[in-house]
Amino acid sequence: MSSQTLHTGTDKHSGSTTGTPTINRRYRNRRLPAAGTVGRFTALAVAAALTLGPVLWTLSTSLRAPSESFNLPPSFLPINPDFTAYQEVFRQINVGLLVLNSALVTGLIALGQMASATLAGYAFARLDFRGKKAIFSLVLATMMVPVQVTIVPVFMLIRGMGLSDTLLALILPAIPTAFGTFLMRQYFLGLPNDFAEAAALDGAGPWRIFRSVYVPLAVPGMAIVGILAFNFHWNEFFRPLILTISEQNFTLPLGLVTLQGNLGTGSISVVLAGVILSMLPALVVFIFGQRTLREGLTAGASK
Amino acid sequence: MTTTSTAPRQTVKPPAARRSFVERWLAMIFLAPTLLGMALFTFLPIIGSLVLAFFRWDIISAPQFVGFANFASLAEDPTVRVSFLNTIVFVIVAVILQLGIALGLASMLQARMPSWLRVFLRSTFFFPLVLSAASVSIFMRYMFNEQFGVVNWLLSLIGIPAVPWLTSPVASAAVVVLVYVWQNFGFSFLLFLGALTNIPKELHEAANLDGATGWKQFSNVTLPLISPTVLVASVMAIISALQVFDQPYVLTNGGPGDSTRTAVMVIFESAFQQLEFGEASAIGLVLTVLILAVTALQFRLSRRFVFYQ
Amino acid sequence: MTSEKTPGQPAPLHAPRPGGGLSQLTRRSLLGLTGLAVAGATVGAWPRLTGTDIPGRGSKGLKIAILGTAADAAARQGLVKAFTAAHPDIPVQVQAIQGADWKDFFSKILTMVAAGTPPDIVYVATEGAQLFADKLAEPLDDYVRRDAADMSDYFDDVHPSLLEAFMYQGSLYQLPLDWNAANMYMNTTTFAQAGLDRPKDDWTQDDFSATLRALRKARPADFTPYYWTNRLFGGVVPWLYANDTSFLTETKAAGGDWFWDRFYPNDPARATRGGGYQWLAPNAEDGRVIETFDYLRELVAEGLGVRPESGGGNALVGLFGNNRIGTTPAGGYWAQGLHDAGMTADQFDVQFFPRWRTQRHQFGAAGYAIMRTAKDKDAAWEWVKFCSSRDAMQLAIAKPNTTPTRRSMVNESFYAATGPKHWKVFYDTLDRFPTSGPIPAPPQQAAVETALMKNVSTAVSGSSADVRAAMGTLQRDLELALRRNS
Repeated sequence: MSSQTLHTGTDKHSGSTTGTPTINRRYRNRRLPAAGTVGRFTALAVAAALTLGPVLWTLSTSLRAPSESFNLPPSFLPINPDFTAYQEVFRQINVGLLVLNSALVTGLIALGQMASATLAGYAFARLDFRGKKAIFSLVLATMMVPVQVTIVPVFMLIRGMGLSDTLLALILPAIPTAFGTFLMRQYFLGLPNDFAEAAALDGAGPWRIFRSVYVPLAVPGMAIVGILAFNFHWNEFFRPLILTISEQNFTLPLGLVTLQGNLGTGSISVVLAGVILSMLPALVVFIFGQRTLREGLTAGASK
Repeated sequence: MTTTSTAPRQTVKPPAARRSFVERWLAMIFLAPTLLGMALFTFLPIIGSLVLAFFRWDIISAPQFVGFANFASLAEDPTVRVSFLNTIVFVIVAVILQLGIALGLASMLQARMPSWLRVFLRSTFFFPLVLSAASVSIFMRYMFNEQFGVVNWLLSLIGIPAVPWLTSPVASAAVVVLVYVWQNFGFSFLLFLGALTNIPKELHEAANLDGATGWKQFSNVTLPLISPTVLVASVMAIISALQVFDQPYVLTNGGPGDSTRTAVMVIFESAFQQLEFGEASAIGLVLTVLILAVTALQFRLSRRFVFYQ
Repeated sequence: MTSEKTPGQPAPLHAPRPGGGLSQLTRRSLLGLTGLAVAGATVGAWPRLTGTDIPGRGSKGLKIAILGTAADAAARQGLVKAFTAAHPDIPVQVQAIQGADWKDFFSKILTMVAAGTPPDIVYVATEGAQLFADKLAEPLDDYVRRDAADMSDYFDDVHPSLLEAFMYQGSLYQLPLDWNAANMYMNTTTFAQAGLDRPKDDWTQDDFSATLRALRKARPADFTPYYWTNRLFGGVVPWLYANDTSFLTETKAAGGDWFWDRFYPNDPARATRGGGYQWLAPNAEDGRVIETFDYLRELVAEGLGVRPESGGGNALVGLFGNNRIGTTPAGGYWAQGLHDAGMTADQFDVQFFPRWRTQRHQFGAAGYAIMRTAKDKDAAWEWVKFCSSRDAMQLAIAKPNTTPTRRSMVNESFYAATGPKHWKVFYDTLDRFPTSGPIPAPPQQAAVETALMKNVSTAVSGSSADVRAAMGTLQRDLELALRRNS
């Protein structure tokens, strides 16, 4: 991020974002640059606090003894963290199995999307065939069909395949990906032609050019598709709600909601402890995949 | 999203005709997994929905052909009407908030500041995006509880009486919007951040020389330059907002009354709770047509307002 | 912006070295290795991916679905063991299905039917009794008649009102095993603070209002005198019943004499028994219904009661245990819940629901239903019959987390560890108020429940005029709901 070099003045955009910039204000800002800066940093600080606050509240409440979870004022810093809520989560739901299911489902979807999107994206970007534009538009159009619209026929299809109430029922329909295909197409379009030309001169056929030149180059793009898929399907709620029946096939978000529903003790702490536990894998993705995820989202949309 | 990328770049053109023959076959093989998968899991089900919309079917007994009756009952079912209205209002309010907040924060982040602070802020605004909507809705539900929620407690500190956030119509709709925007503004934020960072600084300098500052510079220079991103961000935000389900399902279950019931919730309820699979398909088709129409309209409008370099 | 000019586009991190070379080779072999590892892991995880590792999946035994978690299924292993000892030729498999509430559970069962993997036996509560009777369940009439001699021990011990709740169009579909009436729970600590004693058995709606006001006066903040949830059980319905009305017109189907004459010849309320309840028409604009909703609206407006949250109530035990709630309607199931939350027997107590025009109570019950699709219905009946025996019920209901339908089991020792002191209220409800009725749940219960719940919240949060408007909407919504498939 090199934006520091872009704007040397401190208040060029002042007022642009607060919605009601007035002439007066701009003049004042000119004479007193500090005022705009203060306003801007106050706004940023408030936004950051509003973004992090709920998460911190969740964390601190999950560290309270279940019997104290209703106490007011709510403490943001538990002086004596209490982990009984976490023990209770492990007692009530099979966290290990939920994580395994979520990992299997999201992992295989991510890999499947990476493979299929790479192939399809490459075909759309670098191979010539009839009806390319029409087929590509058709693929993109599938992004606009809500999953709720197709879920009933998909459900019947799954039944026909003998896969009712299995993890495969969640995985298979999620592998064809319009967004991933789109991303990989853009990615391949962004790669230079020279290598392919050089390889073609060496007598390499289309398959060799793909395999030896472009696949190795496309690994970062594939990582973007993979991490996006992982993030989306890790948090997915609706399809697992419909397509799984046995508790043994639940994924994490579903397990959490039932934790809330089955809760005989009615303790907020326990539910929130489950929420925090489910956040941990997302946090890992956030820390290690943040850059890739960010670039992927930006790349996908700016074209 | 496609209009921006015009004709695909010329690929390597081999002289031999055999080559293009091989390429065509290779393309077919490469496309097969995606296209077959989509045919099976998207196009076939859409056709299935289309057929189902003309039947009354409870999944237990045999389907019964009813013609357009499902569409007719849609039109007169007040719950369906309200849910579509809710969805439209939700999309308008949530998307404007989401884009406004994202654009505001992204441009504020262009200010001079230590790089650790920039990284911290950027990561913070991005973070809610990696959480699941279900778990966010669970903890937000506690925060907005009327009796023991932290939000009302904070308000009580400044003398505001307890607000029935989740049990009164207007407040609960506001909560659903807030929770949705809280989680999703980071997406648009990242898009805008990328676009703003890519504006050549000479343009701003030139604008400065012309005496354009502040809002004027923003609206005359910055906004046109990032308008393609604004278009993409708004298309994506609208498509995703039109399909909102997790937040109202967990937060309010559509209530109180129908005040937070959205179109996809009604699809879910009529199919999987009331066993009206035909009616559910009909609602789904109407929603799909609505989404397609909105997207088409956006691209239409964009020809006038979006500035391509 | 054309595709050539794409800011923010990821640049390739590595340019390929001319002629391939070592790094490319290793990358390729790395890719290959990854592929192998993925393939291996997929094969290893195949049973998990296809669900074949779930115990009992695909077994030929009787599949029994209950609402709950895997822990709840495990808790019935003692019952399964006892059954297997008695019937070694009938293998059974208890499968727990999770759901936020009964409605959720039923839609999961229907999904299983749609998926082609229906259970043979389902534990169904009154909420779904008619849905199952109408579409999915097998009547028990022939079995009950055939095994009448064995069954009289059960019928002698179970109140006829509970059986009547499972009659549908003259046939019996389930043998209720557990049940709960909507009685009134009191937090004795907060009652003591307000200087209140336990109310009398025949306390009235006015007494109730006065009680709430006294509670409010003693604790003006951070406290709710009356907490209620928005659902079919324990929401607005107990008040409607006490006011001698309901949001659906209640009638009784003809028939059922074969059952009452044979098993309950001495029932004092014999004349009122029939072939099962019928809820065929909406009744939301009835004057008493409006009056009842208006009363609840006033409680909310006066700050005596909360606005009910739909589906919620999981915070209820915690709030009650923390003395932040004065009263709330609940059944015998709550004794164990409050005990687990750390309340001692003297910290809470229970009383009948207050009298209005009547003191008719609402109750809910549950028992096993045999599915029409069951492969071996005779074997399924053996399970149903076995579970109604005293020994089996003692295994199934070891703690007061619900009320057993066998009166002989509702005794001093059952509540010894938990309280409340006046546990007798639970079963006495049926004797004292013999007209007490089940949760109003026609076959279209999901749509009916949705219609009721969404209009309750709007009715009680506005003005008196809003109540009338909300009841108009409820009437219309119920009309639509009753026209539905289920």
